[in-house]
Amino acid sequence: MTLRNGIAMTWAAGLLLVAAATAPAVGISRDESVYVEAGASYVRFWREALRSPGRALELADRHYEWNHEHPGLAKGIFGATRTLLSDVLGWTGEVQGSRYGAFLFAALLAFVLALWGFDLAGPLGGALAPALFFLAPRHFHHARSAVLDLPVSALWLATTYAFWRSTSASRGRLSTAGWAIATGLLFGAALATKHNAFFLPPVLLAAWLLGSIRGRQREAAGQDEGGGPWAFAAMAVLGPLVLVASWPWLWHHTLPRIRDWLGYHLHHENYVSYPFVITALTVPAAILVAMLGGVAHTGGRIVAAWRGRATTVSLPTEWLLLLNAIVPIALIAWPTVPHFGGVKHWMPAMPFLALLGARALVTAGRLLSPARPALVTSLLAALALAPAAWQVAHAHPFGSAAWNEIAGGAPGAASMGMQRQFWGDDLVAVLPALNAHAMPGARVWFQEATTLAVKQHQRDGKLRPDLLVASGPEDADISIWQYHQEFRDREFRTWTEFRTARPVAGAYLDEVPLVQVYARPGAWR
Amino acid sequence: MSQPPDHHGPSYKLPSPPPPDPTGWYELRRKARTTFWPPRPVAWAGLLALAVAAAGLHGLWFLGSLPGRLPSPTDWKAVASLVAREARSGDAVVLSPAWAERAREILPDRLPSGQDVTLPLLAFPSYAEADEDLSGVKRVWLVSLPGAPGASPRIARQLASRSETSEGPLQVGRLDLTRYDLRSPLLPVHSFTDRLASASIRSPGARVIRETREVDLLPRTCIVVSFPGPRPEPATLAFPAVPLGRALRGHLGLVGDVSAGAPPVSLLVKVDGLEVGRGEATAARPLWSAFQIDTGRISGPSRQVTLEVVPSGPLPRGVCIDLVSLP
Repeated sequence: MTLRNGIAMTWAAGLLLVAAATAPAVGISRDESVYVEAGASYVRFWREALRSPGRALELADRHYEWNHEHPGLAKGIFGATRTLLSDVLGWTGEVQGSRYGAFLFAALLAFVLALWGFDLAGPLGGALAPALFFLAPRHFHHARSAVLDLPVSALWLATTYAFWRSTSASRGRLSTAGWAIATGLLFGAALATKHNAFFLPPVLLAAWLLGSIRGRQREAAGQDEGGGPWAFAAMAVLGPLVLVASWPWLWHHTLPRIRDWLGYHLHHENYVSYPFVITALTVPAAILVAMLGGVAHTGGRIVAAWRGRATTVSLPTEWLLLLNAIVPIALIAWPTVPHFGGVKHWMPAMPFLALLGARALVTAGRLLSPARPALVTSLLAALALAPAAWQVAHAHPFGSAAWNEIAGGAPGAASMGMQRQFWGDDLVAVLPALNAHAMPGARVWFQEATTLAVKQHQRDGKLRPDLLVASGPEDADISIWQYHQEFRDREFRTWTEFRTARPVAGAYLDEVPLVQVYARPGAWR
Repeated sequence: MSQPPDHHGPSYKLPSPPPPDPTGWYELRRKARTTFWPPRPVAWAGLLALAVAAAGLHGLWFLGSLPGRLPSPTDWKAVASLVAREARSGDAVVLSPAWAERAREILPDRLPSGQDVTLPLLAFPSYAEADEDLSGVKRVWLVSLPGAPGASPRIARQLASRSETSEGPLQVGRLDLTRYDLRSPLLPVHSFTDRLASASIRSPGARVIRETREVDLLPRTCIVVSFPGPRPEPATLAFPAVPLGRALRGHLGLVGDVSAGAPPVSLLVKVDGLEVGRGEATAARPLWSAFQIDTGRISGPSRQVTLEVVPSGPLPRGVCIDLVSLP
């Protein structure tokens, strides 16, 4: 095994192990609870359709009705790992079993990041790039949930990497056509994971076109081959094929269902500054600085190449990296593009920022100490990564509640009125108290946590099976308030109904309330 | 061919003398400019290394120092004991920063005197007189986390500015406890919200109840009148035997999230059948709007006050009305 592959494999395997070891403490978000059930339903489809192929369309309508707002590939993989690890082998619970599918996507992301980091900046680049991505607490949080944003980021990165290899002289074992076909297949997989992959071809096209504007650079750098059009053709043909093939919901009524799918995602809110502010306040500051340094470094390389001062700089590569690092964030900031819900919607940009940051740190090491570049780069990497690793450990298992030191951590962000958490996953922290103190058969209003998530916790043995789901404070004995500013009325309705504003338990991150439990007199023992 | 001789002789222009530089500042600037401009790659690399090192060290310092800036469970328990021992009727607890609502779990919510007297715990972003009346509160216990990131002395200053005296801050671990005696506490002689049970209500299709609900993201305990039907009619709340003093002071606001718009609601206040004032709740700021009606000329120990709530459209979440009579 080459050093390059060794670094990539080590990262992938290490991430898989760490994710598997730490995921059980992470709660179930609203999205995840739905995707876990959807995945199981999709596996049932494939089982039944293989037995009765003639009923495939009818079965597809039944089993893929679940969460048909999103395509089926990633959820199907979640369902497959759950079936194997939970239903067949009995090694995990159903949620943890589903999460192994997510770990595979995280491992893929780490693998490709390490390969590309190595190609751009040598062994240290390969080692650093995945670290700069995964040591952001929110990214690591996503690596351990069976949701779609990290998978689509992994496939976005892999597609772009295949596209790059298809346009580069360093093709390795595959031919230009081979990489082009890989680009098309990976793009199809990305489309079959989440709709934001639709933005990828314009980014690749723009990078390819801008890369052809060479300024005073007399000829293309040695590694450029200009194989782009084949990759675009493959994406145009294979992308939709993979999407439809992996998503039986589209096997009939194809166009109306595609229209409904895309139409559904045009109805969220948007604020221009949102992605920039949230990125600046959630990515650990030293990693953020390295990433910004990487963006500036790349801009400088493009300008130097245009001026004819950098003959070895590949303009298509630089544009490819730069646009992928910027466009997903800029897209979310665009006033007419809908979004909601935290860092996940521009996550496809973050692996590219990690690549650029890694290359910038390695380049800085080389320039500052030509005799001992590895030493200087390692020192810089340690300074960038040590506080980030600390933050990841500190925020665990509340990764979606993590804010960086620029924000002042969770307390500083709370003072600024920032969102404290997303979609109910922090409920997990009060389950032990609930199991210990709730009266038998108590009706519990779980608020942000879905009934699906509650049932999953019960089936996985984390929540007492006798506890019932209430629909509001009026019919509840216990109410679990999960702090969302926009839903504050739920807490105050509980005060009225329970005649108390005093919680009986809570979960806090650096003193900031994430979850508070209220109980009627006698319901908490 | 040679040029004709210049009869004035050759001319010379001497360069202007360098400015006096006794401190060496100009020389330093010149050297810095020639060293750093145009910037060389190594300078950029140095800048990046410096920024990464500074951010990394700051990150380590931040995380290392954070536990020492936040209160421990023992600190909270100690403050709870102090408040329980010292608090009396007419007191309230205020939190700074407002998010420090772990206090709700630990501090007493009632006085330990045996009587059922509540000890309100307030977590508002501002206590300026224009923002909060602090109705019924004579003394405030400010529990603050002075070392917490994002902490600010603003709330303490606001309370100090409306107080006669203050005692403290008493440092309890990483918590500060300060008592403020309000200079002019607003002490109503009658709370319409608390006396809702005595009112006779005519509300075809409307629901009238005393609740704590969210108005502009904050809790308000008030009379909530909601109009779930498609063609809502006005609701009338008649309060008998209301002691009227110098003024009626009230607030009203639409309940819940009104960012998508909501129909405005008018409130007409009548004393013994005659309209004496009105207010309006709309989806525009301020969402919790104050109004005051001078009742000095019609004051008396027992008046009938009628509140007429007039919706302009369906309002399932309702309007929140808080009204008191001032002595």
